[in-house]
Amino acid sequence: MQTMQIGSQPIRLKPRTEETVVAAVDTSTIKIGETSKGMLIAVRGATVWKQKKHYRYLRVGPFIFHVTEENKKQVYNALQRAYFTSPHEHNHNGSPSFLQMPTRIANLLERWQQTMLSTTVTNGLILFDGSLTSGIADTSTKRMKQILDAARKRGNIVLAFSKMTSLRFNGYLITDVLLGYKPPYLFEIAGLKPRPPIVLLGDVYVARLANENYAFRLDIDKEVSIERRMEAVEKLLGNELFSQSYPETLRLAHILCTFTANEVIAMQHFITRKYDLKIINRPDMHRLLFGPFGKGESRS
Amino acid sequence: MKLYKKEGNIIQILGFPNETVEKGDYLLIEGKNARKALIVQVIDVQFANIPGILEELLRSLPDGGELIQGEDFDPLEIAPHITYIQDARLLRCKIRATIENESLSPSSSWLPSRSQSTIKKLSIPTLLELAKVNGKLPIVLGGTKDSMLLTIDASSLDGRLNIITGKKETGKSHLSKLLMLNLIRYGATVIVLDLNGEYISLGMTSDGKRNAYHNKIHVLTPSQNFKVVLKQLHLHVLLSILIHALHLPGTSAREFRTIWRSLKEKDNLTLRELGEAIRNSRCNHHVRDALFSRYYALLNSRFFTDNVAEAMLLEESLFKAGKEGGVIVINLRNTSSIDRQIVVEYVLGKLVELLTSWKLKAVFLYAEEAHLYLRETYWDDIVTRMRHLGIFTTFITNQPNTIRENIYRQADNIFLFNFTNEHDLETVSRAARVDAETVKSIATDLSPRHCLVLGKAVKDFPMVVKVKALDIRTMGETRLFFINTN
Repeated sequence: MQTMQIGSQPIRLKPRTEETVVAAVDTSTIKIGETSKGMLIAVRGATVWKQKKHYRYLRVGPFIFHVTEENKKQVYNALQRAYFTSPHEHNHNGSPSFLQMPTRIANLLERWQQTMLSTTVTNGLILFDGSLTSGIADTSTKRMKQILDAARKRGNIVLAFSKMTSLRFNGYLITDVLLGYKPPYLFEIAGLKPRPPIVLLGDVYVARLANENYAFRLDIDKEVSIERRMEAVEKLLGNELFSQSYPETLRLAHILCTFTANEVIAMQHFITRKYDLKIINRPDMHRLLFGPFGKGESRS
Repeated sequence: MKLYKKEGNIIQILGFPNETVEKGDYLLIEGKNARKALIVQVIDVQFANIPGILEELLRSLPDGGELIQGEDFDPLEIAPHITYIQDARLLRCKIRATIENESLSPSSSWLPSRSQSTIKKLSIPTLLELAKVNGKLPIVLGGTKDSMLLTIDASSLDGRLNIITGKKETGKSHLSKLLMLNLIRYGATVIVLDLNGEYISLGMTSDGKRNAYHNKIHVLTPSQNFKVVLKQLHLHVLLSILIHALHLPGTSAREFRTIWRSLKEKDNLTLRELGEAIRNSRCNHHVRDALFSRYYALLNSRFFTDNVAEAMLLEESLFKAGKEGGVIVINLRNTSSIDRQIVVEYVLGKLVELLTSWKLKAVFLYAEEAHLYLRETYWDDIVTRMRHLGIFTTFITNQPNTIRENIYRQADNIFLFNFTNEHDLETVSRAARVDAETVKSIATDLSPRHCLVLGKAVKDFPMVVKVKALDIRTMGETRLFFINTN
């Protein structure tokens, strides 16, 4: 990505207030405990949409999985079959590793929810959490393309917001260097050439959409014309609330799917009661070995 | 329920929504194979400090305070478990006793196992049985929360100092009446200093008919059916009245003593002769004026008479009550402050006289708002000297700070009704037989007619009781302006 270029001038935006549905998707996963054979994980997804000034949500889950070395492949493949009717192309990296299972299962759920949104919303704005980068372990290019195609066919535009980015320009994060203009505006980031098999299915922008001093990486479907892209962002500005420059629909989706400590206890209670599974409290080896100098495994 | 924490004599127990435990309930914590158990009382019910609860609550209100609408597809039905955890409670309990070998000790030193202990509710009858709150003279106070009867023994009031307190219209007088009627059932003599005429109808049912106690209730209204002739008075009783109620200075009291003795020698102890004697006295004119002003105060009270037929001997009522039990109601309604003090001085002086000479065995004295008529020195007298003579006082008040702190410290039983004012509760919690935390926590939640019983009557196991209803004509109601408007 050495040839990265940033537009010399910001693309100024004007909010467009014509009524447009804004929908967003997010998923969350959490490890709720360990058993003698494996781990217990939970995933949950939330779809939030704003229509006629009101937010609505559909939350699915939590789904709880007992993942072991023995069943991880079976669990993953069963979910693939259940979520997607078309057979999944072979994964470059084979089945996920045991430790990757929580994020991979959550990712499957997220893709399914994105697919559902793309095929149900019409002429709307669909917000994804993350980028439109595909070809990596948990995001196949084919599936991502299918989602974007489906969205386009129904007149939707997919806008993907990344809370964090690793893209740097002159050594600085792209979201840090372009804050000197009056928002709302976009800066186009051009010349990004990822190494295969990674594919960018969207064009990348730095978006500062509200007065707060925060900017985000924004990926917009490549197949959409420049005019329609700008129109989509302007419609987002006219139809959505922004909290710290981040769209409220996406923020709500994240809040609604995230697990709280209380829910983790409840799920542990459920598992113990219903399946009589014994959750093991493994000693924290960092704490055990290093005492107050051990920062704890969860933070390592 | 699960044992969570112990700090001093406070035990914290984790309770779940399906377990109905409320403030005031007793729990039994039994140790496995320990042959010991703790009796604890719930003094507060709080939400358990569940991690993530704030996030959970905030999440349901993210839309500027408006509840976000949506649907949850929860195939595993985890939501009820979340609610279950969210609604978990923390029961703050006070250790009341330890049971070992079927005997109770007030110790709180034993620490039961956190993982092995079993916790269950302890019913009031079982607790009463364990604590041996029984006897031959039962008084049913009323019902507990679980519809069990709370019965105390009349002997737990015998020789004791009691306080009945609570804010207005919570049922203090009602409980006093209940205790009085039960005491006379067992042959006790009760004297009530009735400030508002609330007890004058103790012998009547609510529909105005005579009840079973009618013949045992003697209402004495000063200056009406309760008058005294000077001849029947001992000098020291009258001097008490003059000095303490009418504030007669020492020099004048000495002169009065001389006059009194002179009249007594001549067998001329009448009001008229007393007036004449003061007038003709050759003492300093200031002394004479002082004696005259007190003489007229006595005269104006109309409590004293020269007509023997008009006089009513307190002794007679007391002896009658002493034989078969009875309540002597000293009706102080419509009596001025000075006259009230004169009457109370007389009654207490007479009681001391009769008790000292063993003409009376003992009396139960019920004093309503005693600060309005009881002189300063009587407070200490009541908890020390008079108690030994056989005057067992029950103070009834809605202003707990009007009762001296040493009375609280010495009180054997406290019947506490609802208070919301912290200052009031602070005063009551000075009582030696109870901890401040219990008083403050439970008393604020008491409904009208519900009383927290503390002290010897319940063997120091504070219990909440809904005081039994009585079919007695209610008196002393507040006069209302808008009574016919609604």
